[in-house]
Amino acid sequence: MPNYAMVIDLHKCAGCGACAIACKNENNVPEGIYWANYIHRTRGKFPNVRYEFIPTLCNHCEEAPCVKACPVGAMHKDENGLTLHDPSKCIGCKACVVADPYGVIYFNEEKPHEFWYDKEEAIEKITSSGQEMGKNYDVPFPYYNPDRAKTYAGVRPKGVVEKCTMCDHRIKEGKVPYCVYSCPSGARVFGDLDDPNSEVNKLLNQYSYFRLGENFGTKPKVFYIREF
Amino acid sequence: MKLSRRSFIKASVATGVIAAGAGGTKPMLQALAENSGKENKQVSEGEWRPTVCQGCTTWCAVQVKVVNGRAVKVRGNPHSKANNHDGKVCPRAHLSLQQVYDPDRIKTPMKRTNPKKGRNEDPQFVPITWDEAIDEIAEKFLELRKNNEPHKFVLMRGRYTYLREILYGAFPKLIGSPNSISHSALCAEAEKFGSYYTEHYWGYRDYDLRNTRYVILWGADPLASNRQVPHAMNVWGEVMDRAKVAVIDPRLSVTAAKADEWLPVIPGEDGALATAMAHVILTEGLWNKSFVGDFVDGVNRFKQGETVDPETFQENLTYGLVRWWNLELKDRTPQWAEQKAGIPAEQIIRVAREFAEAAPKAISWLSPGTSMQVRGGYAAMAAHALNGLVGSVDNVGGTIRSAKYPTQAIPSVEPFMDDIAKAGNKHHKVDQRGYKEFPALKKGKSGKGVVTNRLADAILDEDPYEVKMAIGYWNNFTFSCAGASRWEKALEKLPFFVHITTHPSEMAMFADIVLPAAHHLYERLGYIESKANTISYIAMNQRVIEPVWDVRIDETEIPWMIAEKLAEKGFTNVLDYFKSIKDPETGKTPTNSWEFSEYVLKTMTQPIWDPAIKTEGDQFSGWEEFKKVGIWNSEPYKFRNKWKDFGTKTGKFEFYSETLKAALEHHAEKHNTNVDDIMKVTKYQARGELAFVPHYEEPFRWGDEKEYPFIFVEHRSRLNREARSANCQWYQEFKDVDPGDERWDDVAKINPVDAGKLGLKTGDKIRLKSPTGEIECTAKVWEGVRPGTIVKCYGQGHWAYGRIAAKDFKKRMPRGGNNNELLPADYERLSGSTVRHGGVTRVKVEKL
Repeated sequence: MPNYAMVIDLHKCAGCGACAIACKNENNVPEGIYWANYIHRTRGKFPNVRYEFIPTLCNHCEEAPCVKACPVGAMHKDENGLTLHDPSKCIGCKACVVADPYGVIYFNEEKPHEFWYDKEEAIEKITSSGQEMGKNYDVPFPYYNPDRAKTYAGVRPKGVVEKCTMCDHRIKEGKVPYCVYSCPSGARVFGDLDDPNSEVNKLLNQYSYFRLGENFGTKPKVFYIREF
Repeated sequence: MKLSRRSFIKASVATGVIAAGAGGTKPMLQALAENSGKENKQVSEGEWRPTVCQGCTTWCAVQVKVVNGRAVKVRGNPHSKANNHDGKVCPRAHLSLQQVYDPDRIKTPMKRTNPKKGRNEDPQFVPITWDEAIDEIAEKFLELRKNNEPHKFVLMRGRYTYLREILYGAFPKLIGSPNSISHSALCAEAEKFGSYYTEHYWGYRDYDLRNTRYVILWGADPLASNRQVPHAMNVWGEVMDRAKVAVIDPRLSVTAAKADEWLPVIPGEDGALATAMAHVILTEGLWNKSFVGDFVDGVNRFKQGETVDPETFQENLTYGLVRWWNLELKDRTPQWAEQKAGIPAEQIIRVAREFAEAAPKAISWLSPGTSMQVRGGYAAMAAHALNGLVGSVDNVGGTIRSAKYPTQAIPSVEPFMDDIAKAGNKHHKVDQRGYKEFPALKKGKSGKGVVTNRLADAILDEDPYEVKMAIGYWNNFTFSCAGASRWEKALEKLPFFVHITTHPSEMAMFADIVLPAAHHLYERLGYIESKANTISYIAMNQRVIEPVWDVRIDETEIPWMIAEKLAEKGFTNVLDYFKSIKDPETGKTPTNSWEFSEYVLKTMTQPIWDPAIKTEGDQFSGWEEFKKVGIWNSEPYKFRNKWKDFGTKTGKFEFYSETLKAALEHHAEKHNTNVDDIMKVTKYQARGELAFVPHYEEPFRWGDEKEYPFIFVEHRSRLNREARSANCQWYQEFKDVDPGDERWDDVAKINPVDAGKLGLKTGDKIRLKSPTGEIECTAKVWEGVRPGTIVKCYGQGHWAYGRIAAKDFKKRMPRGGNNNELLPADYERLSGSTVRHGGVTRVKVEKL
């Protein structure tokens, strides 16, 4: 069984956020929730200033604190080393959210995609409303991606948590996660950590790397190489 | 309760129905089921269909994934050899999904019922049918023609495809108006001025990034904006492995953040840096001897402050080097430039040296940032002249042009123009181009360029004449033109205005009739020409989904409908002309607007897809195959072809521009004056021969330093789809991918030193005031901006583009403030370009 991991080359990363936007697109992620996200910071004093950008996502930790914290087994490790979540088991207790040191698990406080149920029209009878648009399509919202529902709730309902699944639905079909596919600068590499010949291992052998929260004891599987 | 995946799906369909009527908070599983019931019906592979993304001027060939008739995703077209390697696109393309499916789109033609126009007037729009709308428009045309004043009609074009040849090219001529006014001067004409008056190229350059060893970016931020964005992002890691990158920009752009050198120039002082770099290259003997030539005896006489005898230098492929040195460069030392530009002399020397040492695989990359200043034309020339000095022009690893685009023209309108039309077309174009103070010297000719932003003044002052009717398409001048409030006044005055747009907009709010436009990426036909990575390409906009609403194609369908209506009312010329464009395959005459659109497209692109016509580049078996692939790629660029003859007056790369001299002298003669006077009225400082060489000019700024202590700097967003994406949730949610910016907000970035003096902290609400306008936004204290400057991204501040873009659409409350309400309407007059960069205005900051 593979042990999936991701390497992000910060030298190649252009800090554009296409990963985070494409993720929303692929996984039907509602407003305010970010399976893929980024951290940025500006250091130094003018004119010696450094701006850094680090794309983030669920680290699919080998020692995942969120899995340990889940009382009902909704948050679990799968056979490929991914940290996955089963919304049908989830009781919405948010123990995983509390245990997660990376802030990548989100709780659906509201009905998701409320925008598409709203009745307001900008200009009456001239422009549409989210609700009217929604009615025209047989899916939760017009650009809804049905592929997501192959392995997870297509849209996660109010009352449960959600997070990055490393696009397990795509992996199953031999594709790479959509953030990897969509990265315009080719900064993301996905592969099997247990395969010595995988591209991720080649990069990890070639460059020194760091992971977020190395000292948490979580053994994250998202690796960063080089500098932004 | 435990459910297997299968039973879970089953249960969801069942309980979905039951849950439908339930109010209040639903139990978790029921809620889950409700959603799932809807979502699982449509799992299907879908199909990737080719089209074009025109979210910026890169113009990427893309594909849309269509599942059961819905657009679900966008990616680069894998057939592209230029911009979209392996299907890559920049973040903008994804945002387009939230444009096409935006509930705030205009879904029907509408008519204003409140005759009073103004930002605070409710237009009281009511829906009308297409027939009613077109009928009213046709009547207005007939009225103008009846009164022999068809030239009082203006067609305003914003973004476009090459099917512009119908609405922008043929249609106004057939009606009788010369007034096809493009947006081009808002875009970057001043930049083209730089390459034209050195190497005779009026266009955007391509760059051989894969082979380059040094890149100087003059205000350009190719990882975020400018052209060829996905290509730049794709190769930038390699570029930085192999080459050095120096970024000249007062703000820390993302490209600057990743660069080897950041030169945070005092806004508008770029010319000092460019001339000083040229000075270093010459005094240190680093110019390209085989391209430029050398001293006859090989002894370098370029010494600071000393003039050189032209006889001692033998020039090769360039012209006027010694005169440039004597007139301008000899005193332009790095130490002098340090005082002007605020960049250490040693850094200027280092960049100049390393650039020249890497040459000819070196790029000096122009952008609006350097040139769109009142006195920016010569800075653009100076920056581009560096490419001439090091022989990187038209060379491997350098700055190049495009291959030929094998398209063909549509038939001439001439035989279809009646006497009224012919007389109308004889009038001077209404935008004041070619006036003494607006030379607009496109391609060497006085008044050939457009002065887009001047149209507002022309309308207001009725100079050269009154405008009675206008159609605007794919534009939003009330938002996108500096001095935006003048446009509100001009549109208030305009008696009849038709706006063709996908969304409500700042311009539509002043319209008498608004027509809903087909979205360019999803719903229309068209084609574009663009280039990157040494490849030129032609890609087609195609209808990949059924239109979301009852929309029409702006450039072809709407003029067809007007033509039909005009014919019905007795004026058949326009329709007769349109019907003369047949299907090149079958010879059929178009019978409706869609067929017409398709035949125009097929005609113009015929040399590409018709195997009977021999062309270079990708080959196709016929129209159907071209449609399916969606893009034609040229052969790779052939370097050094221009070296034989650049096309300038001297055939050489001109450091002393005989081409510009001829253009300026002709313009002066036209106005019975001399070039010095033209320099004066165009606000330039140069007198005498300095006007013909790239040289330093002090930046022109609005506002007194005492009253307005900060220099205002504006920049582009990597999420701007040309200021049309602010109504997309993802735009707002990810606005902080522009360094220093904040999500869901519009910030003015200020250095901590200045913020300290003003007692400002991040999050404070502030008002920015220039001598001509004011806006409100949020303060952001950030080290990535030069002290003494206020830096703000363009794109927010919409008050009429939809409910997300505005803070409160109904109350006309913008989210932040539009920079163009702050910027004065001023120009780089030699090119006609509107100005917005180079610190064209000073501002003051008030805490609210």
